[in-house]
Formats: sequence, C-alpha cells, structure tokens
Amino acid sequence: MALNPFFLQGSPGEQRLIQNLINEQLQIYGVEVTYIPRKFVNKQSIIEEVQSSKFDDNFLIEAYVNTYEGYSGAGDIMTKFGVSLKDELTLTISKERFEDFIAPFLNDDEYELATRPREGDLVFFPLGTRLFEVKFVEHEQPFYQLGKNYVYQLQCELFEYEDELIDTGVDEIDREIEDEGFITTLNLVGTGVTATVSANVPGISGYIRSISLQNDGSGYTSVPTVSISTSRSIGGSNASAVAITTERAGVFSIKEVVLTNAGSGYTQAPDISIIGGGGSGAIATCTVETTQKGVISYTVTEQGRGYTTPPVITVAGPGSGTTATASAVIDISNTILSSVRVTDPGIGYTIAPTVTVADPNIITGRGNFGYNDLVVGQTSNTEARVRSWDSDTKVLKVTNVGIGSTVSGFIPGEELRIQTGIGNTGLLLHKTVFTAGFTTTGRFIGAGTTIISVGSGNTTRFTVGNDIGEIENIIGAGVTVHSVNSFGSIFLSEKTLNTTHLTNQTISVGTTSFISYNIRQYDNRDIYDEYTENDEFELQADEIIDFAESNPFGTY
Amino acid sequence: MLGTYFYHEILRKTVIAFGTLFNDIHIRHNDNTGKSISDMKVALAYGPMQKFLARLEQQPDLNRATQITLPRMSFEMTNIAYDATRKASITQTFKASDGSNLRKVFMPVPYNIGFELNILVKLNDDGLQIIEQILPFFQPSFNLTVDLVSVIGEKRDISVVLDNISFQDDYEGDFATRRALIYTLNFTAKTYLFGPVADTPEGLIKKVQLDYHTNMDRENKRRELRYVATPKAVKDYDNDNTATLTFNIGKNEVRITVNDSTNFSVGDRIVIDSEVMRVESKPDATTLAVKRGFSSTAKAEHLENSKINKLTTADDNLIEVGDDFGFSETSSIFTDSLQFNPATRTDS
Repeated sequence: MALNPFFLQGSPGEQRLIQNLINEQLQIYGVEVTYIPRKFVNKQSIIEEVQSSKFDDNFLIEAYVNTYEGYSGAGDIMTKFGVSLKDELTLTISKERFEDFIAPFLNDDEYELATRPREGDLVFFPLGTRLFEVKFVEHEQPFYQLGKNYVYQLQCELFEYEDELIDTGVDEIDREIEDEGFITTLNLVGTGVTATVSANVPGISGYIRSISLQNDGSGYTSVPTVSISTSRSIGGSNASAVAITTERAGVFSIKEVVLTNAGSGYTQAPDISIIGGGGSGAIATCTVETTQKGVISYTVTEQGRGYTTPPVITVAGPGSGTTATASAVIDISNTILSSVRVTDPGIGYTIAPTVTVADPNIITGRGNFGYNDLVVGQTSNTEARVRSWDSDTKVLKVTNVGIGSTVSGFIPGEELRIQTGIGNTGLLLHKTVFTAGFTTTGRFIGAGTTIISVGSGNTTRFTVGNDIGEIENIIGAGVTVHSVNSFGSIFLSEKTLNTTHLTNQTISVGTTSFISYNIRQYDNRDIYDEYTENDEFELQADEIIDFAESNPFGTY
Repeated sequence: MLGTYFYHEILRKTVIAFGTLFNDIHIRHNDNTGKSISDMKVALAYGPMQKFLARLEQQPDLNRATQITLPRMSFEMTNIAYDATRKASITQTFKASDGSNLRKVFMPVPYNIGFELNILVKLNDDGLQIIEQILPFFQPSFNLTVDLVSVIGEKRDISVVLDNISFQDDYEGDFATRRALIYTLNFTAKTYLFGPVADTPEGLIKKVQLDYHTNMDRENKRRELRYVATPKAVKDYDNDNTATLTFNIGKNEVRITVNDSTNFSVGDRIVIDSEVMRVESKPDATTLAVKRGFSSTAKAEHLENSKINKLTTADDNLIEVGDDFGFSETSSIFTDSLQFNPATRTDS
C-alpha cells in the first residue's frame, strides 16, 4: 500500500524552513568553533595509515555543544604513559552551512574527500582552547525529519599529537602546540667579531725557513708528534711544528708538516722526528735562515667570533725580501680563531708586520624567525619548523627536523635560512628583512600609477634600486625605486595597487636580505618535555654502567 | 636480628641500567616523495610516579590542547623473584677494597627482576620502527656491566633477557573508541642483591714469607730456607724526577742520553713514560746503557725532555690496590735453629 497521497511527508519548502530554523538556532545557541581539515602528506598503503599530515586551513562555523554539561569521556587520567586527557565532545553543525561555506574550499587535490565533514579533521573548541579530532560523523540523527537530514553530529576526542604540522594561520590555534612534540634546540651565532693576530719577529736570526717532507710514511691513523731538536743559542727559542695526516685508498700518511713556531738561534738545521700516531717511515728535513729575520710565530690577541671556516690571514710585506704567509685554525664548536700557523716565515723582516684576519663568514646574524617558519641548513639541507626564537640568546627551538637519509641533522657552522617557497632554481625564495633604511610618509598618486610623492625635501634618502616594503593593497612584493626626480616624486618599478589617491602612508625603504644565521651548535635532545626522562637515564647510567664494550643502542 | 642499615640502591641501579637501553630510539616520518620531514626521539620514562607530581609537571596550566604527545615508552618493575640457578654458597665471602681498607662481603643473592616495557604509538608504522630497533639486540639476552655496589666497585654483568612480546591493536568496533596501539615487551634482568659490607681488621697482604724445614718435626729440626716475596712497582709513584732525556730515543736504542747520570747505579730500574728499563752500565756522566722493555712493559719511543724516574722501595710501598705490579723475591739459607714468631715478627 503506497503512502497516503493527501499528506505530504515534507515538501522542499518545509525542508528549507527547517534547515533555516536550525541554522538560526545554531547561530543563536552555538559556539563559534574552527574547523581545520586534514591534508595527507604521506599515506602508506598495506599498513593503511596516514603517516604525515598537515593542517593549514581554517573555517569558522557555529556548532551546538550536545554535551552541554561538560566534556564527556574519562576526563584527566593517569596512565602508564603519563597524564592523558580523555575528554570527548559532541558537536552539532548545520549540514547546509558546511556544504555552502566549507565544502567548496575542500576541492584541493590534497584533500581525500570534500563533500562532508571528515573523520580525522580537527575542531578548535575556543571555550577550552582545545584541539579535538573528529572520530565519527553521525549524519542521521535526528532521523529524516520531513524526509531529510539537516545536521551533522561530530563525535570528537582530544587530539593525540605527534608531529603534525598545524599552520592554520590563526595564531591562537597554531600556538596551542608550541610546547608539544619533539622539540630540539639550535644555538645560533649572533654577532660576528673579527679576530686579531700579532706577528712575532725575534731579535736574533736562525729560524727554520721551510720544512720539506722527504717521505710521507704510512700507517699514521692518528696525528703523530713532530719533535724538533732544541735551539742551542743563548736567547734562542725552540721551533715546533704539527703534522697533518691524510688518507688515500686506505693508506694513512703524512700530508705535510706545518710550523707553529719557526724558532730562533739555530745555527744549523735541527733534526725533525715524527713519532707516534701508529705509523712509521715519515722523514722531514728543514732549512735554516741564519742571517736575516722572519715571522717565526703568531699570537692570537682576540679570538673573534662567528668563524665557521678558517679565515684568510694576510701578513704585511717586509719592504724587501719575501712576504710571510700564515694559515688559520678555528675552533668550530665555539666559532673562534684558535691559532695561526706559519706557512712561510718570510725573509727580510726587521719589525713585526701588521697581520690582517678576514672577517667571519657572517658578521651579523640577521632577522627574526617566526612561529612555524621553515628553516633550512644550507649545507646539510636539513629542514625544520620553528617553534620559538629568542633573539637575545640566539636560541632557536625547532621541531619536525627532517634530516634526510644521508645527513645526520644540522651541522655546526652551516648557515641557516628561512625558506618561504621554492624558486625556479630550487630553494631560492627566502624571507627577506630590511637590514637598513628608513620609513617615511608619502602620498600615492592615482590608480595604477607608479609614483609616490613625498615632497622634494624627503627624496634625498631614496636611492635608485632601493627596495620598497610591501603595503597591503598599495605596493606588492619586490618593488624597487626606479628613479627619483627633484620635485619630490619617486617612480617605482611596478604599478601601485591602489585605485585612489592615498596620503600619509608609511613607506619602508632600504635593502633587503635573507634571514640568515650561522649555527653554533645543534642539540638533538628534547630538553623541554616534562614527561621524557631519556636524558636523566643517560646521566645516571653513565655513573654506574661500564660501557667498555660500547652501547649498541647508540652513544646518545 | 636483621636491621644493620645498608642500602646499595641495587634495584634502583637495575632500573636505571634497564632504562638506558631504550633512551635513544628514534622514529622518522617521510613525505610522499620519500624525503624525511621529521625525526623524533621516542620519549621514555619510568611509568609509576607520584600522581600529584605527574599532574603538576605534565599539566601545569590545567588546560591542555591535546590529549597526549606520542610516541611514548614507559617501563616498570613488575616482579622480583629469587633465582635458584645462580645461587652460590651462602657462607662464602669475598674481600674487596674500598680504595684504602679491606671490606668483607658475603656472596650476593641472585634475583630476577621482571620489567615490562610499554610502547604507545599513534601509527602502526611508528611501532614497527621502534620494535625493529630493539629486538635484534636481544638474542635473547643482552648483557650490561653495572657497578652494583659502588663502595667496593663491584661490577657485575646483568643479563637482560627478552621474554616475550605482545601487542594490542584495538582497531575493531565502533568509531567512538579510538584505536590504541600498545606494544608490551617483557624482560627479566638477572641482578644480584648484596648484603651489608663489613669492615675487616685485616689489611692488604704486602709481604709473603715462607720458611722451609727439611723435616716435619718443626720443633726440633732447624729451618733451612726462607723465601720472601714483596710487591715491586712497575710504574713511578713518588715522581722523583731523577733526570731528563736530552735527545729523542727510538724503540730499540739502548744508549740513552740524559742530563745527569750520577744519581743512577747499575741495576737500577728506571721508568720513562710507561716503559721500565734497567741500567746496565754508565759509560759517562750523561749516558746510560739500559735494557729496554723491562718488567714486561712495551718498548716505545720517547721524546726529548721526558722525565726519568727511578723505581725504588719508596715506589714499592706506594703501590695502590688494583694496580699492576711485579714481585721482589729473596731467598735466604739458614744454619741457625731459630723459629719465626708471627706475633712479634722476629726470629727467636
């Protein structure tokens, strides 16, 4: 028996009315939550799970809290794995509102499904400032009122965080996980200081002019000691040298012998012995200059800061004779100049010459990191996401360190930059900051014109080629000063974006640069997590465990 | 009866030793191109803890945006059981030195400590990564050398045996229950519990003296031969710096040049770096002829200006517990009829 044709079980008009009433009720009695859809970064087959996800979108939607007396679920409980918050929440959202205002934006390739709320997505609940994960979407409750369903019920549970990227653009949401997850520490070099070095020219001659390696020996698996017989003259000083070893095709030998002090008061060439290091056979001889004087050693008077590669050392010439040359040795963990070696003591010096040390690679680390910025080590190509940045101590906390398969993380000494996008030729687009310049106020003329009017007196500080800071709806990215005329008009390389005249706009002018720092040290432990005791175990075990046979689980 | 206070913290040390095995396990995640985008060290903690402390430390702001951060590992001691198979005689004691005095220790009691290691992961793949980094090292046991009683430096090998592995994966059922992935590994750590360490009046034996008689009748038959052994230092203790080398010497050179040889006599034992030599002759005031690599020490090269120390009875007296040393042996033949009195340590 068919349905009674004299009664209508819900007309489209009635259904629309109910939907509208529901929408209105939700907007009156609901809570404004943020719906954050999940993007799959890596979905694994066979085991069938999403290994990496990111949440980088946000949609405001009103939702009614079904469990209005509080969260349901087991509450805060103590587990084997520490404190776990088992709060649950059931939210009702309007089907129509979701389909009209959220679903159309979910048609990206990165989304698995676009038409309905999805399990696995997040909901930010502003009352408790908590992130809930949708466990189940119930679409049939209430059950077909007038032949249709009007709401979705989202059954949610607090989010279990691992290493998902949450970069919705809403600071309040993104920073909820600022202290969660595995966070490691980068210590960066702040300001570089140029080292200073003085040269030592002794009062008497008799120094080693050069050392030549007659036989490079073999088997030197560690650095041997170079012993030079002592100076026999009164007032003389003893020479010293170091050996530098090398390895070719599994054969360890001496590469060269470098003087650290050329000595003085030698009347004949001293004996040089190369001892230890596990090898044998190396023979070195030297020649001695007994009439003229040279630079026999160097004293580091200021060790500087910020050296991640050995700087070039330049020694002033003697006037007539041979100019001395020297090489630098750095302490990379502290980024300082530790010593200077004598490559060639030169000849013909009467007084100590001036020694110039090249500036450190980065004189000043530049810029400030922002939350969730992607930073890239320029040598190791290690990537990480910024969690916090202390510009005073130059400590950068990072998470999601992607160390690749061939590197073991950040390398001390390498340069760290922010990557904001991929350029045509790779990792080129970097966030820029104004390193110099000034701000002024000006008037933008006309729609699409290219002129700023700042008054003739103010144009003197504008230089052709200067970068102009972005101003929303007025100046886009990458605009530079094209030309300046004497009547107070600045011509830009691109058209301005405004359609009317605007006055009193603050204009930033200057040069831009990468945000760039050098890494002093990378600590790959999480020293901030309150649960983890990995470090504590290591510390206490070091006192009681005999690791004579080494720890197969790694050296920590 | 019981109640001599002692606490070697052996169980605590066993917990620490067990925990340190698993404190450096990492997992990695990749993006869909295979590039590593995240490397995490798996957090480890001893599970049981004071509840208020857990809440104060892990939930200081009361509110927390997330349920928990994963992956996590926790372990706990589950049982303590006597192990009869490793038991030594209960009356047996051994003596050990605490550095200066001799201490007497009864043989320890062997106990098996059960440990349960739990691994909570969000993804199955994370669990597999962790498990795969642990299992190959237990075949089925892994030995740790632990300084169980620090006062006597008693190091024992503790064998940690992997007994069984189980895991729970609640993927079935309604969608209201979240999937929980927990791996549980059960281990037995074979440790030893030591009783109190007693002081003893006994000192270290620094001299052994043996008198030989030719007859069992010790009262009437005279002693014939005495053998005395005392420790002989093979390294320098008193840092006497009797002389210095004035030239480098190679491994096999037997004539060495020193700044002054007057304070050496033929037969003296000298030490340069860690090589002991014996002076064979003194050709002149700055040269010594020596026998190299004496007292089983290794011949080595020595640098100019190295210190030369003489090994004398002063060094012999300063030998410390645990050092390597040789023996000075003397034999004497007697024709008297005296007896050695251990009480007075004289012949009478």
